[in-house]
Amino acid sequence: MKDTVVRVSDLGVTYAGTPAIADLDFSVTRGEFVSVVGPSGCGKSTMLNVLSGLLEPTYGSVSVNGRVLYSSGEPLPRLGYVFQTHRLLPWKTVRQNLELVLSAAGVPRQQWSERIERLLDVLQISEFAETWPMRLSGGQRLRVSIARALVIEPSYILMDEPLSTLDEVTARTMRQELSSIVAKTGSTVIFVTHSIREAVFLADRLIILTRGPARVFEERIIDIERPRLYEDARIGQIEAEVVEKVLGAWGLDEPRKEAV
Amino acid sequence: MMRRHLWWSVLAVTLLVPAWFAGFHYTNFVGDPMEVAGLLPGFLSSAETWINVGVSVARVFGGLALGVAIGIATAFAIHRGGLVKNTLTPYVTVALRTPSAIAAIVALSIFRGAEIGYLVVVAYITFPYVTTSLLEGLRSSDRELDQMAKIYKLSMLSHIRHVLAPFVAPYIFAALRNAHALAWKIIVVVEIFGAATLGFGIQFSHAWEYFQILEVHLWLLLFMAVVLFAEYCVLRPAERRVFRWRDAS
Repeated sequence: MKDTVVRVSDLGVTYAGTPAIADLDFSVTRGEFVSVVGPSGCGKSTMLNVLSGLLEPTYGSVSVNGRVLYSSGEPLPRLGYVFQTHRLLPWKTVRQNLELVLSAAGVPRQQWSERIERLLDVLQISEFAETWPMRLSGGQRLRVSIARALVIEPSYILMDEPLSTLDEVTARTMRQELSSIVAKTGSTVIFVTHSIREAVFLADRLIILTRGPARVFEERIIDIERPRLYEDARIGQIEAEVVEKVLGAWGLDEPRKEAV
Repeated sequence: MMRRHLWWSVLAVTLLVPAWFAGFHYTNFVGDPMEVAGLLPGFLSSAETWINVGVSVARVFGGLALGVAIGIATAFAIHRGGLVKNTLTPYVTVALRTPSAIAAIVALSIFRGAEIGYLVVVAYITFPYVTTSLLEGLRSSDRELDQMAKIYKLSMLSHIRHVLAPFVAPYIFAALRNAHALAWKIIVVVEIFGAATLGFGIQFSHAWEYFQILEVHLWLLLFMAVVLFAEYCVLRPAERRVFRWRDAS
């Protein structure tokens, strides 16, 4: 049985008396890819802020590898983060962006070159090692952002709608590649997205949140063998089932079919 | 593209030559450009000339370095807010509005013509420009990059060095340009007021006092050359190097 890496226990966050998250409870095991979906404004960003160490919860706890976050004296675990807008430092080359996080993570300098070369090779961006981020396409910047998250060999990786700013063609390619990269590296990932199909395609397990304040509405194992195809009918079927379930839960009506 | 811009700048400066000839022919206070040209080689090969240039340059860049250091420290201190901000802000306001001549006179009174006085007055006049410009940068700093730095556990020093400083570098360079221009203006004034023995200012003053118009022209030409060299051969290349990543887009 795989060990638990991230354990979220009865988590609650309140801003000025208004709850953003209430009694959120789930766990993620080692090497698992968990997709989290929820309606806009339900508290997904708040959840990510708590999981990334930026926001202390009002109640409840988050533990990583058995260590509770935000308890005094406990150093925060090493985590990787792939942002929606990538947030690469434009004044540093690709290599320098990776070296910076390696330095911050306390990785010995002798290991930097090997780690960087290996990851750039896996992500097929070796030729861009000395390139400024502004010269890269959106898809290439995403790969660099993923490399930055992976290079420190984190306990877990958070991904905040990383494909949402890409055009559909690039996003399709990157979904396939992301699935393959994560499988190769065996990383533990919590992936937040607003696309249910994308969430189903990538995930080992799907967590569906309620409307705000966010709670877990349902968890669902995605038992489709890898490698997966985005157009796989089974993915479409699961997507349809989930959509039907959440329409009511998220307070959304089925779109009316109006006569043209 | 840049070379074309450079050539246009050079052309613009050379337009002074026909303007100078016209001034010589139509006024009685502009010197003969041909006479000045004749005196130029001797003037430029004189060690005394370059000693005076060196002294003024050292005062300008020494004072500027001090002013930039104080300006940066003050900006970061004010940005933290609270009591420090309330304490320092009035001083920055006063320094920003102090006329250069007043600053020169006060500095000379305090330091009685010692070299430190020149550095202090340049620093005093230039630091508030650095502070106000840098504060603008700090206030508009990229919160997303700050978050990234926090998530990836960059130390405070690392955050300042790798994230904040490059972000505010455009503001610092903008302030540096203004401060550099001000520094030259103030140092010439101080050297005149302070009856310095060496420097651009005192050479201008002596030449004018003895109505040596040609010598005034020589020092003026050299002054223009020095400030243009500092601007185009020092500051701008440094700026291009720091911002070379911008050309990547």
